[in-house]
Amino acid sequence: MSTDTPPPSTARVAEAALRPLGWGGWLGFALAGTGVVVLAIAVARLLWVGIGVWGNNIPHVWGFDLIAYAWWIGVANAASLFAAVLVLRRHGLRTAVNRFAEAAALAAVLAAALYPILHLGRPWLFYWTLPYPSTWGLWPQFGSTLVWDFWGISAHVLVTSMFWYVGLIPDLATLRDRAARRGRIGLARAYGLPALGWRGSVAHWHRHQAAYRMVAALVLPLLLSAQTVVALEFAVTVVADWHQARLPLHFIATGLPSGLGIVLALAVALRHGLSLREFVDRGDMDLLARLLAAAGIAALLAWMHEAGTALLQEDGTTRDAFLVRLAGPAWWIAVVMSGLLPQLFWWQKLRRDLIFVPIGLLAAAGVWLDRWSLVVDGVSRPRVPFPVTAYAPSGDEWALLLGSASFFAFALLCFGRFLPAVSMFETRHEESEQELEEEER
Amino acid sequence: MSGGATRRDALRVMGASIALSALAGCDEPDEFGHPLHGRGRGVASEDAVFATTLELDGLGRGVLVRTRGGHPIKVEGNPRHPASLGASDVFLESAPLSLHAPERSRQALQHGRPAAPGASRDAFNGLRGEGLRIVTGPLSSPTLRRLVAEALAANPGSTWHVHDPMADPASQAAALAAFGEAVEVLPDLRAARTMLCLGADPLGHGPAQLALARAWQAGRPRLLVAEASPSLTGARADRRLALHPAEFEPLARAIATELGVAGLVAGAAHPAAASLAASLREAGSEALILTGRGQSAAVHAIAHAINAHLGSRALRFVPAPAAGGAEMAPLEEAMRANEVSRLLLLDVNPAHDRAGFAAAMGRVVHSVHIAERVDETGRVASWHLPLNHPLESWGDSRAFDGTPSIRQPVARSPGGEVMGAVEALLALLGWEGTGRDAVRETWRGAWGEGDFESKWEEALEAGVAGESVPAASLALRADWDLPGRPIPPGLAAHFAPDPHLRAGAFAHEAWLQELPRPLTRLSWGNAALVAPETAARLGLAPGDEVELSLGGESLRAPVLPLAGQAVDCVTLPLGFGRRAGGPVGEGRGFHAAALRPADGAWVVPDLTLRPTGRRVALIARESQPGLEPDAAKVIGPGERLPPFAPTPSLHQPWSYPGAAWAMAIDLDACIGCNACAIACQAENNVPVVGPEDMARGRGLHWLRVEKHDRPEDRSVFQPVPCMHCEKAPCEPVCPVNATLHDHEGLNAMVYPRCIGTRTCSNNCPYKVRRFNFEDHRRRVDTPARNPDVALRPRGVMEKCTYCTHRIQAARAEGRLDTVETACARACPTRAILFGDLNEPQSDVARARQDPRSYLMLEQLGTRPRTSYLARVEEGGA
Amino acid sequence: MKRVLGAALYWLLRRPRAAEVVLPPRGAGTIAEFHDADALTEAVRAARAEGWTRFEAYAPHPVPDAAEAMGIHAAPVGWIAAGAGVAAMAGAYGLTMYLSVVDYPVNVGGRPPHAWPVYLPAAYIVGVLVAALAALLSMLWLNGLPRLHHPVFAARGFLRASEDRFFLWISPDDPMHTPEGAQRFLRSQAPLRVSEVPPS
Repeated sequence: MSTDTPPPSTARVAEAALRPLGWGGWLGFALAGTGVVVLAIAVARLLWVGIGVWGNNIPHVWGFDLIAYAWWIGVANAASLFAAVLVLRRHGLRTAVNRFAEAAALAAVLAAALYPILHLGRPWLFYWTLPYPSTWGLWPQFGSTLVWDFWGISAHVLVTSMFWYVGLIPDLATLRDRAARRGRIGLARAYGLPALGWRGSVAHWHRHQAAYRMVAALVLPLLLSAQTVVALEFAVTVVADWHQARLPLHFIATGLPSGLGIVLALAVALRHGLSLREFVDRGDMDLLARLLAAAGIAALLAWMHEAGTALLQEDGTTRDAFLVRLAGPAWWIAVVMSGLLPQLFWWQKLRRDLIFVPIGLLAAAGVWLDRWSLVVDGVSRPRVPFPVTAYAPSGDEWALLLGSASFFAFALLCFGRFLPAVSMFETRHEESEQELEEEER
Repeated sequence: MSGGATRRDALRVMGASIALSALAGCDEPDEFGHPLHGRGRGVASEDAVFATTLELDGLGRGVLVRTRGGHPIKVEGNPRHPASLGASDVFLESAPLSLHAPERSRQALQHGRPAAPGASRDAFNGLRGEGLRIVTGPLSSPTLRRLVAEALAANPGSTWHVHDPMADPASQAAALAAFGEAVEVLPDLRAARTMLCLGADPLGHGPAQLALARAWQAGRPRLLVAEASPSLTGARADRRLALHPAEFEPLARAIATELGVAGLVAGAAHPAAASLAASLREAGSEALILTGRGQSAAVHAIAHAINAHLGSRALRFVPAPAAGGAEMAPLEEAMRANEVSRLLLLDVNPAHDRAGFAAAMGRVVHSVHIAERVDETGRVASWHLPLNHPLESWGDSRAFDGTPSIRQPVARSPGGEVMGAVEALLALLGWEGTGRDAVRETWRGAWGEGDFESKWEEALEAGVAGESVPAASLALRADWDLPGRPIPPGLAAHFAPDPHLRAGAFAHEAWLQELPRPLTRLSWGNAALVAPETAARLGLAPGDEVELSLGGESLRAPVLPLAGQAVDCVTLPLGFGRRAGGPVGEGRGFHAAALRPADGAWVVPDLTLRPTGRRVALIARESQPGLEPDAAKVIGPGERLPPFAPTPSLHQPWSYPGAAWAMAIDLDACIGCNACAIACQAENNVPVVGPEDMARGRGLHWLRVEKHDRPEDRSVFQPVPCMHCEKAPCEPVCPVNATLHDHEGLNAMVYPRCIGTRTCSNNCPYKVRRFNFEDHRRRVDTPARNPDVALRPRGVMEKCTYCTHRIQAARAEGRLDTVETACARACPTRAILFGDLNEPQSDVARARQDPRSYLMLEQLGTRPRTSYLARVEEGGA
Repeated sequence: MKRVLGAALYWLLRRPRAAEVVLPPRGAGTIAEFHDADALTEAVRAARAEGWTRFEAYAPHPVPDAAEAMGIHAAPVGWIAAGAGVAAMAGAYGLTMYLSVVDYPVNVGGRPPHAWPVYLPAAYIVGVLVAALAALLSMLWLNGLPRLHHPVFAARGFLRASEDRFFLWISPDDPMHTPEGAQRFLRSQAPLRVSEVPPS
């Protein structure tokens, strides 16, 4: 088959998926796999012993569980939002980063989806939030934000994976055909099944593109609503610091640096780990870094708005509740790490791969601290006198957090290993369009 | 109904006969009590209520015990008994819990090893003879006193010692000096207009607390309190002074000087004396001085003199019902001198309460310890014999005012060698007969043979066996003053009973260990209480460990700075540091009794305190202030609060045409005694979570009693149950309809439906919801649990239900107008009212119309069904 | 390990499908391979002009011009998605309302059973979810997918259709189709290669 060399443009992408794993890849898989085992142990302990293994109490009934949930949703949202906007705007960056932004979004939303079930006191009964005709004759309480959230997270998982999968079908067909040309029939069938028999008919392409853009367009309202529903879980309560109409906007705006930070760090990993420097080139990285900086500004605006409304406009109770949060370090660290730090990327000199990784991850971690500030510091002073014990996360919670991060990494490694990291058909499309332009010129 | 011999009835009759035949198989079918009312005697599966008596510090309090299937499940006050008046306290409420404690003794031990069955006879045989020493607690029981006297008569040269770690020798000495008789002062708080308490704590826990608190609530005298360490009375005072122990005698003398009391040997001056004396003088014969533990004999005597001088009508004198018996110190000396060879210790634990007792007791060849559990004394004794729980055996008692009552068993004895105290003395005497026979014998002697049986039946049913002792009219002796050695200033140790454990007698009660103490908020431990000024001077933070040295002894203890504590006075709560007696009490806190001198003094000067630099994790459930300022409202006398104005809503309100259950809590009546909290725990099978989870903030108490700080280091106590909001914020956030409203406005919690999202707790502005972080069911599932209340599995929310099972039972029995929650039933001052808001004449409906009525966090529009009545204070908010 | 897994997967998948068995014994049409999208687009226009009706064009990436030339409209995907979304939204709201107002009304937080504002978010989310599902499913349905096997896969070099080659295939079902006629037409479009698709 060596006579049948494909053009170099997308071959490397496909090659990255088909070539044997190097030692770095094995190390990555080993680390992430260990983390997944830790996750499994933490989950097993949680199911066996109960929420008691965590550090929660009254009033801190939520801790790492909801922080991580809100945070992962934020990561997923920002990454998805980014990918969807790229598809809709047909931006030049899309070929390079939108596929793995989608993948990151999907992995993050899967990591997030762990928590709503695991955080329950009786997780095996999670399906009671579904409207199914039970023997009790009782239905879910449809006014509950948690029921909204059940739909929100289900829809989020489904639509994100659909978005990702619809885009992946033609590329799966490419992988199928490449494997078949090498005579690896088993692999070809493994790729062929999810490729659904895609044969590249022009008519199919036409409807495929329509559906792809349709789903991308639907991702946007869904993302806003998913993040909004998470925010509403807090905003509909009477907790003084949570009961604010601005919370959904705050979640969306401050969620941006986390997703973009993760995507930026992943892009560096792709460039070096999968040798895809041509597809994710300097221009893409520059653009992404500036986007992160812009997201930092959006988050800063959200925090300024938060402080402004709490301190100047809201009633005394809200102000006092917010002052309690300001007394904890989490809020300030979040502002610095996710808001101020990315502003460095306005400087050309600082837009380097080595700097992207730490700042991208710190920006993401900062958003985690913002969620901590809300979930933990936000309830540490109830409206009435109460013997509040400070929330101290237990080892199990750390294990679950690191485990879910490992799960995220593991999912992405699998993605990078077995699937094209860059959208091949869009690259081809783009190249043909470029050729056309050149010819016209 | 006439032809209604249904299948159920047939089964019931069958069950009854089976139960009766089972009972008939026992030795003493008649031993098993006399129910006040119930479906029928011997029908084990049915409800029954017994009137009986439980003791605190040797003094009886009448109770009604509800049993189910032969098991006591709830203790409530007996309205006909003067020491209860229908109310209960933490000790009464927790009585059924220890019935099923796994560490209870079931067999005789000889030198720590199980003795052969029937060998306990040897233990008693060895006691008989010359030089027998009998040690009991304070005894008011006529039968026990009679049998002890018989035993003393039967064994020449024998002595009866009374071990009472709660005794106040100075008070007894002062009574002898002032009146020549061992009498006790019974204050009449209904008649008093102004009361000055010098270290006295009439509203605090004790055998007369329920009666005194009820009378205080009825009379509401002006309370002036001077005390070294905060107490419940001080918390409620109209004026409170924190005084170092050395200052009390000068203050008392100065007041006496101001009032011109005759017979005063030495005068003194004190800055607070003039105004206090003026208040007393103004009230005249309606004034009263009350003195408490920790005061010197001189202070007690001066108080007697002032009361006599003012001609106070707000008190009477009664002979102490439990007086008598020799002191413990001579016994200890005799044991050390190897002069004691026969020693019987009946339901006492001096090895814990007295520092050197265990070592001395080790020299006694034949010592027999009879108690419910192998405690410190039981470990040293050569014999340990198991004792019945008070609810399992016959006996009798006298209340603080001398009112006698019979104690009848309400639960079956474990059998075997487990015996009651009366039976133990019978065995010592070698007499035949049962405990019941002995008690009947006593009262046959008192009542005569004539209509004994009817009197006996009446006494069992009423729970009261006669009248209180008539007041003695006593004249003050001229040489009443006892100018002794005054307490010097400087760091002083002030021993105090723990509010829940007393001197340690209740250390095995997990409910009492866990519930935060009213003032220190400590749970599962004690701490040396110091004034904030003292702590600041020594650079001590809560939990810092110090070494306390007193008279050559020393121990390590964590400190807790407590507002209202007198400067340089270190309060050492007793009852902790148990080394035996069961896993609940062992190893909790520090053993303050180890420092206490042999004479049982409550205040000892010349304490030294040295920080060790180490820290101890205290479990102090201290509340931080809420975001909203006025959870507990305080108003001036005569002030009115604005009426409740409902907040507007988009939605139509739900109507409640039937009953609308509601609760009203009077903050002005609440004394913070915690009885409601324990009553709730007992009624609703609320689990104990243990010290680790308490420290993590996972306590499950459905009803918490908040303490709000007031000027002069006083406090407002606020019981906080579920508010049962009509627009409950917890409900709309539940995804599975596990919490919703019933048709009478109860905020119901459906445990089997709950999946544990905990979001309802987040959305409860009153923070009354509790979560089962672990599975506690096994610990609660004893026969003492209330079968009407479900046990909650792990992962499920729970909270106050307004005792909905009681409402249902009342509805089934057609007595809805008298339904009461467990907390309302327990409250000694009737601060908690429960009833139907739709019934205009109900207590709650009227309380809602009170100008002091308000709703907590009313501005949130939750429309709570639980309302509060504001506290009234001189000077107002 | 990998080999074992691959073998297991192969064993699972190797049995022929029913669809693969009942193929017509005759040839499976004629196919032409083109180098670029423009050539394909031209060929499609020509085929339409000559009156061919049953043919398909294949490309490794979307070629909107070719689709236009074939007279394909993607609009149904959007309409189906929008219709399904709106219907799902209404259905979700209606179901919620029925269940909480008629079927089992309860007093939750003192709100009336039909507390309409709180029923909106879930209905909205369900609508979006169903719209996205409908977009995907209608696309597949209109495309006749999934169809794991198609005669054209047997064409020579067709595997590069997903990589860098463009194909025009004339179905044997076309009324005008004869192997010779189709070959003649396709060769006239300057392809890289024209071949008969072998029956498989």
